[in-house]
Amino acid sequence: MDIYERFINEPVKGFIDRMLEFLPDIIAAVLILVSGFFAGWLAKIVLKKVFTILKLDEHAERTGITKMLQKSGLNDPLSLLLAKIAGGFIVFAFFVVSLGTLKISVIQGLTEKLLYFLPNAFIALIVLTIGFILGNFLGRAALIASVNAGIHLAGHVGKSVKYLIIIVSVSMALELLGIGRDTVIISYAIILSGLVLAFAIAFGLGGRDAAKEFIEKKLKGNQSKNDIQHL
Amino acid sequence: MTIEPQEIRDWINEVGSTDIVVGIPSYNNARTIGHVVRAVQAGLAKYFPDSKAVLVNSDGGSSDGTMEIVRNEVIEDLSSILLSHPTGTIFRLATPYHGLPGKGSAFKTIFEIADRLDARACAVVDSDLRSITPEWIELLIKPVLSGQFDYVAPLYHRHKFDGTITNSIIYPITRALYGKRVRQPIGGDFGFSGELARVYLSRDVWNSDVARYGIDIWMTTTAIAGNYRVCQSFLGAKIHDAKDPGADLSAMLFQVVGSTLDLMETYHEVWKTVRGSSPVPVFGFQYTVGLEPVAVDLERMKDRFRLGVRELMEIWEDILPVEVITLLKDISEHQDYFHIPDEIWARVVYSFAIAAHRQIISQEHLLKSLTPLYIGRTASFVQETMECNAKEVEEKIELLCNVFESEKNLIVENWE
Repeated sequence: MDIYERFINEPVKGFIDRMLEFLPDIIAAVLILVSGFFAGWLAKIVLKKVFTILKLDEHAERTGITKMLQKSGLNDPLSLLLAKIAGGFIVFAFFVVSLGTLKISVIQGLTEKLLYFLPNAFIALIVLTIGFILGNFLGRAALIASVNAGIHLAGHVGKSVKYLIIIVSVSMALELLGIGRDTVIISYAIILSGLVLAFAIAFGLGGRDAAKEFIEKKLKGNQSKNDIQHL
Repeated sequence: MTIEPQEIRDWINEVGSTDIVVGIPSYNNARTIGHVVRAVQAGLAKYFPDSKAVLVNSDGGSSDGTMEIVRNEVIEDLSSILLSHPTGTIFRLATPYHGLPGKGSAFKTIFEIADRLDARACAVVDSDLRSITPEWIELLIKPVLSGQFDYVAPLYHRHKFDGTITNSIIYPITRALYGKRVRQPIGGDFGFSGELARVYLSRDVWNSDVARYGIDIWMTTTAIAGNYRVCQSFLGAKIHDAKDPGADLSAMLFQVVGSTLDLMETYHEVWKTVRGSSPVPVFGFQYTVGLEPVAVDLERMKDRFRLGVRELMEIWEDILPVEVITLLKDISEHQDYFHIPDEIWARVVYSFAIAAHRQIISQEHLLKSLTPLYIGRTASFVQETMECNAKEVEEKIELLCNVFESEKNLIVENWE
């Protein structure tokens, strides 16, 4: 009986006591989580309406974001996508709070770090978004200008401008997130230096004649025989 | 009202009122404005000796003495223009304009002075004209002063390959939209009534692109869409001072076509119901003028078109109908065959207009991406008309305009 009492009854009783002690916390955590789902769903609906009023989808189409998202396999309109992301963030925030109510010290520690991380993550997301918008817009501007200037590598010029801006915004986002801070900067410097050196060698040694012709053309002006007065 | 300073207002009070105002906008045109001023003076003296007239130079801050030339220029020998009797006074004013830098702001000052002086008839001429004659003043002013018309558009004799933006875009689309066959809607030299000048002044456009570069098409479209009595006057050849050969074609297209498309937004209720077009009366004795040949580099133009097809197709696919895309790709791939038919070109222009209205991409990117298509169309047209004379080319432009009119449903149905 002692053995039964000591090795079975008491541990089970202790377990049940702890569960009963823990139960309110679990119930609170579940309630918080359920509220989070509800709040996230509500936020998604409200934000979708707000974005529709602000004509976000029209602006996204004009700046090429919609096309870029479709290429990445995201077919939802930008307003719905952002609303879903915002809703998701809210659910996640409630999830984190619900973990906190469980009063488990390890989890509380992680929760604190996560909450500290979230604002930076949000800003990094904004930086990335701006970088994509700007990269797309300026890349297209460079493409059109290069085509109109008769540059046969116009496609490469446009893409170079676009991806350069995106790379800069990605490195800024990574820096905000504190991910491999120095590594990113050093890698960026190495790649850029390498590109510049490669270009200098190619242009200076390999393309001597082409460079000469190019410079002469630029100095002497357009050799076109077009005299049409368009206006 | 932006007329300042006080001395100009005093001058206006001193003049009181006038029958005619002739305005010359300028910016660093010292080399050419003297000739223009003499032509205007001679025209006023010869053809309107009994009318009170004012010459206004609206200047954009010239640093080469343009305004001093305007103030001091006189015709020394009146008999050289077959004028033997003393003439009435022609008042003269050279003043800087205020507002956004551009021809529109210069015109606004001229409109204000015409309004303050209660002018019956007005004209504006460019300050870099080398071919202006005194007869231009008669031809621009008389139809208005006689009370028959409110707006006089110019009609020039140009080389068959010149004015291709006008010939292939602006004239066909303006004619199809508003139903009036004004051959040179962005000519630059116009006549108009004092009443129309007041209407222009009353519009809230002076802080927009109209003030910068869209004034010509805006004046013509406002006159036509407002149902004013419009006519044209044949002025002969239009020879300017040589423009900067590096002037950016895509910037020109953006400005001119952009202004035309902006006006479509303003006058949608007018053009959506117009079908077909009617001729506009022409004044002046029409004659053929010898023009200098124009060199054309067709291969380079085709090359630019092909480059556009290769690199900008991703943008055009969101704008142009499928059948147009297919044909453009086809033309680009063929080395021997290069022809953009009128129907395809009309659909290109209308599709770009719809894309601008829907703001699919930024208007600047949209219209600058039109450049290779325009160059391709110009190359196609030049190739087609290489052996044609001016009359035959004009017939082909007439056919193009008919196509624009028949394809108009594309834009009417897709506008909303």
